[in-house]
Amino acid sequence: MDKIELKNLLFLARLGANEKDYLELIKKLENTLQLIDQMNEVDLEKFEPLNNPLELSNVSRADKENDRNAKRDFLDNSPRSDEDYFIVPKIVE
Amino acid sequence: MTFKETRAQFRAKKVSAKELVQDSFKNINKHEELNIFISKFEDDAIAHAEHIDNNFSDFKDLPIGGIPIAHKDIFCTKGKKTTCASKMLESFVPPYDSTVTRNCYEAGSIMIGKTNMDEFAMGSSNETSFFGPVKNPWQKSLVPGGSSGGSAACIAAGITSISTGTDTGGSIRQPAALCGITGLKPTYGLISRWGMIAFCSSMDQAGPFAKDAFGCSALLDAMSSFDTKDSTCTKRQDKNFEASLVNDFGKLRIGVIKGIEDFGISESVLKAYENTKDVLQQMGHSFHELDFSELSSGICSYYVIAPAECSSNLSRFDGVKYGHRAKAENINDLYLISRSEGFGEEVQKRILIGTYVLSAGFYDAYYRKAQRVRRMIKSKFDKFFESVDLVFLPTTLDQAFKMNRESSDPNKMYKEDLLTIPANLAGLPAISFPNGFSNNLPIGAQFIGNYFTEDLILNTTNKFQEVTDWHKMTPS
Repeated sequence: MDKIELKNLLFLARLGANEKDYLELIKKLENTLQLIDQMNEVDLEKFEPLNNPLELSNVSRADKENDRNAKRDFLDNSPRSDEDYFIVPKIVE
Repeated sequence: MTFKETRAQFRAKKVSAKELVQDSFKNINKHEELNIFISKFEDDAIAHAEHIDNNFSDFKDLPIGGIPIAHKDIFCTKGKKTTCASKMLESFVPPYDSTVTRNCYEAGSIMIGKTNMDEFAMGSSNETSFFGPVKNPWQKSLVPGGSSGGSAACIAAGITSISTGTDTGGSIRQPAALCGITGLKPTYGLISRWGMIAFCSSMDQAGPFAKDAFGCSALLDAMSSFDTKDSTCTKRQDKNFEASLVNDFGKLRIGVIKGIEDFGISESVLKAYENTKDVLQQMGHSFHELDFSELSSGICSYYVIAPAECSSNLSRFDGVKYGHRAKAENINDLYLISRSEGFGEEVQKRILIGTYVLSAGFYDAYYRKAQRVRRMIKSKFDKFFESVDLVFLPTTLDQAFKMNRESSDPNKMYKEDLLTIPANLAGLPAISFPNGFSNNLPIGAQFIGNYFTEDLILNTTNKFQEVTDWHKMTPS
């Protein structure tokens, strides 16, 4: 992994790091990837990918109105809200 | 006192719920330096206990009626701070209860506080908590294990007789082993995940801690229920786990892994493992060797799938809807700075690994392959359970270790989960119970069972605990 790849990865993950720490971070990530790479030693061709241990099918519920309108509760939990809206920095110039 | 003794005394009116709560808080104060709790609710707990004492007949027959309980701070509690041991959620107050804490409340227990843990349940030592590490009650310079280290230490220190935890890769069983108590990770889908802050949704599972299998059974009865709010929660025939402790499951065929001694397990853990096999044999059970040479690949698979799901689950923390928000001039900086400030180092590392293995070009090489390993592990267990009733193995490679070990070899901490991860990948139930001591520190072993055989697992552990005393040991 090089610095450009890490920069791209940080952007995808919406995380930041100081450029002077890049090399150390790359080392840490590569260390974990090395551990993961050991799975290449196993022959896996005959095994289909498994998403969920119980292989459940989707559960649907009736499209019925309920009384769980928690809009106010959730807005109150926001670091910044105003009436019915979450407030974020200006997006459109 | 064990859960069984505590409940019997409460039911016989020899002790009131209020006295039990007061006793818990005395012990909390005595063990303040262990850093077990993130939040404590003394006034509320006393008021709740008084209500229970005043309405004794309504509570005395409930599975955990009148009993103080501590919940891992990963379960949302309405009107009470739920931090997941992260700066990101330092002041988050959920507007609703998790199904687990709600069920425990309805089963008559009294919540005395929320326990410390690894940040977002990512860690095996409790050192990644924003609120500082928990110390092991057996020896304060050692870790209690993780991620549910606070809940395990709470039982070992005698603060409560039951507590809740979650187990994604061993986070109930490993701290149970390192703290000398009993902890069960149920079958994936037995307990609702509603209101349990998500780390890796396809493996996260809540479960009980107690000193012994009896306490775990009663708490499991309280925690488990079918819940339409969690689409992976399984509708099953209701079992009464406590009542099934007296069942006779007969002589069992127990599977043991061939060449287990070659997986880097310490001498003391191996010795306890062999001694336990002798006890189980004396109880009439027989052993059958299983070939599981691919065991180690479970770790590789786990450290792809868990970070992948973590990177997706934790994308909800953006500084907008709830949680930590940084000062920023534009929306991109708001996301980036809020997340960089709010998440600790280990969480950020796992988000980056997860983002990497899911990114275009790497998906097949990592994520898809890890899912194939997952299928292989599940197929192995399916095959095992055609010929055995339970699989028996140690819980951990070694006993409790010193704090700050990670810095010297980060992968060593990940390898710590070698023996616990397979049950999570396959979604199987597994229990860790104390099975020996060395250097005055506890050792744990585990039974892994087939899907929804918690009754068999608890019954077998309970019978083992009737003829051994390891679970009765307490730190001085």
